[in-house]
Amino acid sequence: MIWKLLRKNISVGQIAGYALANLVGLAIVLTALKFYADASGLLRGASDHQGREGAGSYMVISKPVSMFDTFGFGNAADGISQDEVDDIKAQPWADGVGEFTSANFGIVGAVELQGRGLRSYIFLESVPDEYLDIVPEGWHFDESAGTGAEIPVIVSKDYLSLYNYGFAPSRGMPQLSESLVSQIPITLYLTGKGHADAFRARIVGFSSRLNTIAVPQDFMDWANGRYAASEQSRPSRLIVRVAEPGDPAIDKYLSKHGYEVAGERMDQGKAAFALRLVTGVVVGIGAVISVLALFILMLSVSLLLQKNREKNAGLILLGYSPAQVSMVYFRLVALINVAVLAIAICAMLLASDAWGGLLQKVGIDSASPLMPIVAGVAVIIVITAVNFIAIRRSVARSVE
Amino acid sequence: MFTIEEIRLKDVLPEVFADRAERVAASQIWLDDVAFVRGGRYLVAAESGTGKSSMCSFIYGNRKDYRGCICFDGRDIRTLSMAEWCDVRRTAISILPQELRLFPELTAYENIEIKNRLTSHCSRREIMDMLDRLEIADKAGVKAARLSVGQQQRVAIVRAMCQPFSFLFLDEPVSHLDERNNRIVGSLMQERALMQGAAIVATSVGNNIILDGEINSLSL
Repeated sequence: MIWKLLRKNISVGQIAGYALANLVGLAIVLTALKFYADASGLLRGASDHQGREGAGSYMVISKPVSMFDTFGFGNAADGISQDEVDDIKAQPWADGVGEFTSANFGIVGAVELQGRGLRSYIFLESVPDEYLDIVPEGWHFDESAGTGAEIPVIVSKDYLSLYNYGFAPSRGMPQLSESLVSQIPITLYLTGKGHADAFRARIVGFSSRLNTIAVPQDFMDWANGRYAASEQSRPSRLIVRVAEPGDPAIDKYLSKHGYEVAGERMDQGKAAFALRLVTGVVVGIGAVISVLALFILMLSVSLLLQKNREKNAGLILLGYSPAQVSMVYFRLVALINVAVLAIAICAMLLASDAWGGLLQKVGIDSASPLMPIVAGVAVIIVITAVNFIAIRRSVARSVE
Repeated sequence: MFTIEEIRLKDVLPEVFADRAERVAASQIWLDDVAFVRGGRYLVAAESGTGKSSMCSFIYGNRKDYRGCICFDGRDIRTLSMAEWCDVRRTAISILPQELRLFPELTAYENIEIKNRLTSHCSRREIMDMLDRLEIADKAGVKAARLSVGQQQRVAIVRAMCQPFSFLFLDEPVSHLDERNNRIVGSLMQERALMQGAAIVATSVGNNIILDGEINSLSL
């Protein structure tokens, strides 16, 4: 009945105007946040197919090879010194630094393919497991089995692509799938320090992060001890996990110390930075619209309270508490806000659904909508609370 | 729910009379020490503009522009909180304001119900009986704006009955009623006041409400 009494002066136009304005603002904010969550999955996801949480971004850095190195005068072959590694570790943007360990002994790889034998000198490297983008089952070396052990190998995805799209079509060779390649038995012949052993090996995974032929670290340590004649040399490449790929300090540091970055990881970092910037701008625009909408609501409610001033006072003189009278207006505001929130969330989900298909095509799953929803709920709670306080004040004033 | 035994006005003077103190010299209320006691019958006679409605407003707590002290059972009413005022208006003091304060967009019955739902004091049947007694039962469904002033006055009277009270303040309760209706209204209010042992304080500019028993007459 109080509602019947007080609703008379409600301006449907003003309330609808507010609802529309806040809906637009909130929908923009939520959609931008959702897009950011999805798209940052795109940038990070490239290096994290197994969805390892908090994996961050990785980059492989090395010293550039110059003309001097070709003729043996340069310093790239000396590798990266321990001091230099420690210095990188000390940088605030570096989450962790892994060293590539190379094999200091002779390796020959052999495969049997459709009856044809294929045999080549190859190289092997290893990195600590935590820097791998995939850790396949059986990724370890059983030292007790010695030379009878089967060696798991990870090769770069690029190698398979080079073969499938470059080599095989031009030579009339069959294209190979990842699972087929994994079936091919490989024999590795390792020689050095008076030993010569043959190992069974198998490709167990394809890495898009490492541009190398990788074996488990424990196997590499064991093999270097058994076959390597010389002292282990310094690594020439490092894999660095960075917390914020877009951090401009990384770029500065690398160019100052003359490191090269493999692949397009830095470009991705810049893209992430640009993405964050653009998202920030869009969220900002949405937030400004929402704040303006909040003012419309505040004005509309205060106008309504002004028009109802006498009725509010009349109710309070009958014995209604200011809280009971405020509740009528508060319910109206809360109802509108909940509706606006629900529609904005729907709009966000619809939009994300629309681009979800595109993301799926590049192999990225849509991120959870929880973060934008929580953000939307928070915005609405703030708007409703601000109004609640304004209404209470105004109603209390109407009896003074 | 609480009751009030005594309402005391001590040296009370409306701010508007502050510079005309000589004008209220004859008053038995302003700048005096007067007490309304529960169970009593009081008739405050006055000319227009002497502050009858102001007195009711001060005691009901919707105006504070006075000097002096008004006390409910010894407690200065300036110290009452909003919540306590709500309690007073629901359970201790009922008022029939001169301007009636009906909501014109609500029907006669809704105007009564909006008070009664707060106190749950009367059943629908009781309300209809009272309306019937005041001969406006047929107007229950009519919007207050479309009632005559006399009808509106009687609706406001029924509304004032829809709560427990220790004091009933009537600001010119019968100014728009003829003598027959005056008697009906008077007996209804006396009945309800007697049931609760309540006091009736009525003001008038000449057309006094007709009450039985010992009446304390005061002039403003």
